[in-house]
Amino acid sequence: MRYGGDNRGRLLIIVLLVTSLFLITLDLRGVQVIDGLRTGTQTALTPVQKVGSWVVSPFRNFLSDVTHFGRTRNQMEKLKAENEKLRVKLQNRQIADAQLKQLKGVLDLAGTAGYKVVNAKVISQGSSTSFTQTITIDAGTTSGIHTNMTVISGFGLVGVVKYAYTNSALVQLASDPAFKIGARIAGSQQIGILSGQGTRKGVLQLLDNTTQVHKGDAIVARGSQNGRPFVPGVPIGEITSVDNSPGAVTQTADVKFYANFSTLGVVAVVVSDSATDPRDSLVPPKPRPTPIPTVTIYATPGAVEPTPTATK
Amino acid sequence: MTLRRFFLSAPIFLFIFLFQEAVVTQMRLPAGGFNVLLVVALIWAALSTPEIGALTGFGAGLMMDVSQTSPGPMGHWTLVLIIACYFIAFLGYGDDNIRGNPINIVLLTTIGVVAAQTVFLILGLMLGQEIGSVKQVFFVLAGSAFWTAIISPLILKIVSYFHSIIFGERSHI
Repeated sequence: MRYGGDNRGRLLIIVLLVTSLFLITLDLRGVQVIDGLRTGTQTALTPVQKVGSWVVSPFRNFLSDVTHFGRTRNQMEKLKAENEKLRVKLQNRQIADAQLKQLKGVLDLAGTAGYKVVNAKVISQGSSTSFTQTITIDAGTTSGIHTNMTVISGFGLVGVVKYAYTNSALVQLASDPAFKIGARIAGSQQIGILSGQGTRKGVLQLLDNTTQVHKGDAIVARGSQNGRPFVPGVPIGEITSVDNSPGAVTQTADVKFYANFSTLGVVAVVVSDSATDPRDSLVPPKPRPTPIPTVTIYATPGAVEPTPTATK
Repeated sequence: MTLRRFFLSAPIFLFIFLFQEAVVTQMRLPAGGFNVLLVVALIWAALSTPEIGALTGFGAGLMMDVSQTSPGPMGHWTLVLIIACYFIAFLGYGDDNIRGNPINIVLLTTIGVVAAQTVFLILGLMLGQEIGSVKQVFFVLAGSAFWTAIISPLILKIVSYFHSIIFGERSHI
């Protein structure tokens, strides 16, 4: 029997639709209650997410572990019990080592620039179901983190704090489609606007069409007033290709971000920028090609020449 | 009666919401992963009457809206899920070919997830939201379809079990 619906049912649907439209209107008008609802939810969720992060961490690399099982089933059965404890220990150690390495990178970068930073662990990576790129970190307003603060990793820019809660903060990644940052090319100092594209690649739109841009040029943050949302000099990425269409009003270039957003474990939030602009000092040095030894053979006069032998 | 049963299902959805926020988002799955709350809401709707479907969409949508990762205004996911769950329930209601066959429910859910995300995207565009490159959008949609097709059969039996406890054996698969 097909559903025909009755008046009560129709009324319910209309009430629900009107309610959702009402909520959208209230939120777009900036009603505080709606903002409070999200903030309250996130504050309540933070401890649950921390527990979730702790529980899930040994299983995060489960898929790659499965593909690396090279032993036979019998041997695995025999060693399974023994390996179980060791594997968990090793995974925890590897996670700790990786986080330590990332932390060292972040502190090196922040120390060179003279930034005052607050380190934080990534406790959740936002689902891309809603077409956004975000992460949640385990430090919030109690650690001095507020909205519109620059977030960096050991490689460079990660994103910007979008919302700061009591014990956590939501970071909009530089790869988010809504992300935009004023950038300049290290060296030539030409400026432009870099936008996220949902992947590790961004698009740089240069303001001056006559600028000479080259593949491999490093891009750094131009900085904002009082260092918020962006502190100056943070390395962003390097140019991978340039679009020099003759009819284009502005010149655009593809930029590959230095930071790998899918492997973020530890990040740092810049709570206070340096007194002086670090300019291009944070740009990572370009890799130098390893010299290949060449062998030169000299022909010596008078040496016995090899004679060709006839074969039948 | 309907409302009472709807409120009985609220703790189940609350648990799934917590599971999504605390566990699924930690997994860092390839191709964008999946949203278990969205999948469960659509399966739940496929097993329900259109009214319950719309109410389920309303509740699940509100939860997705209060999630920190939701970029749109409050009510954005609510509106999308009311429509998606109502239509899924409408398609399945009274048609035993759909409701009695798990493959059809999985197919309906997978299409429903992609359709809901597409509507979310279009509404987002109308509200001034940035969506990124077309390639990335297709990648996320394809990833969602892939993960939904994998996850749905695994959780269908469990969802059906809880649904039958609240709404009676008629919907049990």
